[in-house]
Amino acid sequence: MTRADSFEREALPHLDAVYRFALRLTGSAADAEDLVQETFLRAYRNWHQYEPGTSAKSWLFTICRNTYLRQQERGRRHERVVSQILADVDAAADGPGETHVFAPAVQADPEGLFFNALIDRTILEAIDRLPQDFREVVLLSDLEGLPYAEIAGVLDVPIGTVKSRLFRGRRLLQKVLYEYAVENGYIPAREP
Amino acid sequence: MSTITCREALARLYEFLDGELTGEKAAEIRRHLEICEACYPDLCFGRAFRDALRRAAQGQAAAPEELRKKVAELLRSLPPDRDDA
Ligand SMILES: [Zn+2]
Repeated sequence: MTRADSFEREALPHLDAVYRFALRLTGSAADAEDLVQETFLRAYRNWHQYEPGTSAKSWLFTICRNTYLRQQERGRRHERVVSQILADVDAAADGPGETHVFAPAVQADPEGLFFNALIDRTILEAIDRLPQDFREVVLLSDLEGLPYAEIAGVLDVPIGTVKSRLFRGRRLLQKVLYEYAVENGYIPAREP
Repeated sequence: MSTITCREALARLYEFLDGELTGEKAAEIRRHLEICEACYPDLCFGRAFRDALRRAAQGQAAAPEELRKKVAELLRSLPPDRDDA
């Protein structure tokens, strides 16, 4: 079998997933298209390094992300960092008794019903605004469903780092979505 | 009777939801989260959150047809070397 054949069978079916990942990494359709082309070009050239039987999707995500980081280093894009929101969340403290969800939101809406009222676009835009470290883990875990071990491989960090970034990223996202839901009246104001 | 504490159950809530826990540990965490009045809302909230994100993920656009063609052309333009011939 030729390289082109095996690449077409194993790698190309993940084009949509790589595009979605690229779109949410770059925040722009034009940049995402460039990134996807570059990713598949590099993937094809390095196809001999792909180990058959492992996840081709994770392997492509790794290349996509490395390509993106390289582009950033070249100064083609600058990171949109929501430093203030992040500072707020950090200030909310990771006390030892802190639960793994955003506590005020759980109290106001214990079943998380407000999530059902949010349209997809609102959720995706909130993800787009997460700082990159957190956006990456949320994309790979919550949107693409990768196991922690594969995410650790894509990001080249220990599994413990994946867990802590996921924890913080999700809480940040819950906080943003909760505030949006309150502002838009999805969660009725409660009697004090 | 649950043998784990609320603190442990909540600390592992997302590992449980993400399918990262297996066997007896997963069963233990599940039992606790489902029967503990204090923890149950966190379980529901966590599930609702994950479901909303999964749903949003489904709503994402597929790659544009134009991009699919470009990538296919790009690959065709490269030398057709063989891996195992
Ligand atoms: Zn409990």
